[in-house]
Amino acid sequence: MRIRCTQDLATGLLFISIGLAALWFGADLSLGTALRPGTGVLPRILAWCLIATGALLGVKSLMTDGPGLGDWAWRPLIMITLATIAFALTIDRFGLVVAMLSSMTLAALGTPETGWREYAIFAAFMLLLGVGMFVWGLGMPVTILPKAWPWS
Amino acid sequence: MELSGLISNLALGFSVAVSLQNLIWCLAGALIGTAIGVLPGIGPVATMALLLPATYALPADGALIMLAGIYYGAQYGGSTTAILVNLPGESSSVVTCLDGYQMARQGRAGSALAIAALGSFFAGSVATVAIAVAAPPLTKLAQQFQPADYFSLMVLGLVASIVLAHGSVIKALGMIFLGMLLGLVGTDVNTGNARYTFEIGELFDGIGFVPLTMGLFGIAEIIANLTNAERRDLVSSKVSSLWPSRDELKRSVAPVLRGTVLGGLLGILPGGGAVLASFSSYTLEKKISKTPEKFGTGMVEGVAGPESANNAAAQTSFIPMLTLGIPSNAVMAMMIGGMMMHGIAPGPQVMQQRPELFWGMIASMWIGNLMLVVLNLPLIGIWVRLLLVPYRLLSIAILFFCCIGVYSLNNSANEVLFIAVFGLLGYVLMRLGCEPAPLIMGFLLGPMMETYMRRAMLLARGDANVFIERPLSLAFLVLTGLLLLFIVLPSVGRAREVAFKE
Repeated sequence: MRIRCTQDLATGLLFISIGLAALWFGADLSLGTALRPGTGVLPRILAWCLIATGALLGVKSLMTDGPGLGDWAWRPLIMITLATIAFALTIDRFGLVVAMLSSMTLAALGTPETGWREYAIFAAFMLLLGVGMFVWGLGMPVTILPKAWPWS
Repeated sequence: MELSGLISNLALGFSVAVSLQNLIWCLAGALIGTAIGVLPGIGPVATMALLLPATYALPADGALIMLAGIYYGAQYGGSTTAILVNLPGESSSVVTCLDGYQMARQGRAGSALAIAALGSFFAGSVATVAIAVAAPPLTKLAQQFQPADYFSLMVLGLVASIVLAHGSVIKALGMIFLGMLLGLVGTDVNTGNARYTFEIGELFDGIGFVPLTMGLFGIAEIIANLTNAERRDLVSSKVSSLWPSRDELKRSVAPVLRGTVLGGLLGILPGGGAVLASFSSYTLEKKISKTPEKFGTGMVEGVAGPESANNAAAQTSFIPMLTLGIPSNAVMAMMIGGMMMHGIAPGPQVMQQRPELFWGMIASMWIGNLMLVVLNLPLIGIWVRLLLVPYRLLSIAILFFCCIGVYSLNNSANEVLFIAVFGLLGYVLMRLGCEPAPLIMGFLLGPMMETYMRRAMLLARGDANVFIERPLSLAFLVLTGLLLLFIVLPSVGRAREVAFKE
């Protein structure tokens, strides 16, 4: 027995684990009756379908050759995700400028090609665009600068 | 359908579409759509996902007109990139790269672009009339559908979208199930119970369409594109004469006509749409050409046919969406998402209850196509310059617009967190060779199917036989069965591979 397509195997495992999670978290949803099917019927059906699909992929990965997992873009993957999270965590508390600066800088760290002089000019331009267009132009209800400095 | 009815319907549509505001939304959509669609790696679906929040504040007709404009703008932008840089912005312009880029290398970029634009315009005009002719009778037919028929039709649509989509069939199936599961999140409208909400306020109304698509298409796309080292071989910054030679025009006429018919027909199929149309048209042109070996070296037929076909298909795929309320591909799913954001339930009733919206949108399609030809050819220089902005900066700007766009919908920071999660998921799925399109279809159709299934069961007093007792429903299910059989047959699988590799 040899794994011939790690990509299919990984997909299968992902589908199975999502299906199991759906069953686990949906365990207390009611099934109801045939005439009035409850909230839990469709989630269970779909979860089992997903698990079956995953199992099928797992079997297929042992039988037919296919691509492996390839190289993953870990750096952009981590930095872009962090950048998005940073925006979400800062926007309400610290305002648009802090949210933009933190997320843009994290995103800029996502690629080794970033030149910092170029980035500084670009960031200033984006800040102006962001504040000018969304706050002054479209009147979005968001603070520009932190109301109170976090350290005060 | 009598001619006078057609004319009065179109007249109503044009009276809506040429109002100053709607003209502006149409123009804005087409221009912004082109600007973003030009960027490599960002196809129409991602463009629409990015710009969906921008249409939120508009009135419903303006929003849909703008969204439609964004769609064909993005598609046109994709072909521009394909011809000038050899980078397909989206899968439907992959074939345009083959001969379009070769033409550009021979200094005929201008004629390739002009032929693509003129062919698209012609195909778009024909397809617009086709929609106007086909919509009323189809709507009438759709009104006789009962819940059971709708349910079976949706099953057929989902299965058909797997057959016609590219990539692994099993994975597409899994993605549909996953999408339907995601669609279940939120309060169950029938029982009032919450499903998978984890006590997060934003989830009680279900996962938002915008955060989901923006994460899966926008954020995931940024991550993937940042990996690829920059390689953009822009042919030359100056695009010579825009006018194709008389010979090139003459050679394009027949492929444009064939592409229009082929694309128009394929666009109606579930899961069909622009990609399938352009691939099929290229294959067809190659097959009937007297010099098939010359394809790939800058044959004008290889640009004219597929470009017309994908535009015709882009238009006619509106037919099932407008008349039945069922999306046939991911782009139409975005349109339905846009409609629902404005509180319009898609379906046959739209034409009766909101005729001005319905016909206005159809008329605006033609106007939008005209705008693309008139405006975009002279603006080529700007699009080229946009291509020169390095991706390391573009990605930051796109990320910011994603974040602020999602945040602006409900002023909810949690929804921005969702796009981080879906972006991560989208990238993982992309690397695993899973297309996100079936997931979106499942996400939209899942809850609809549940509702129709419940209604059908209720009408039939819990008798599941209703799905095979109604002739229409039975017909759809039999077709579904045949399609499934079709997928399983290994010979079809091989034919599919060949069709999508060519």
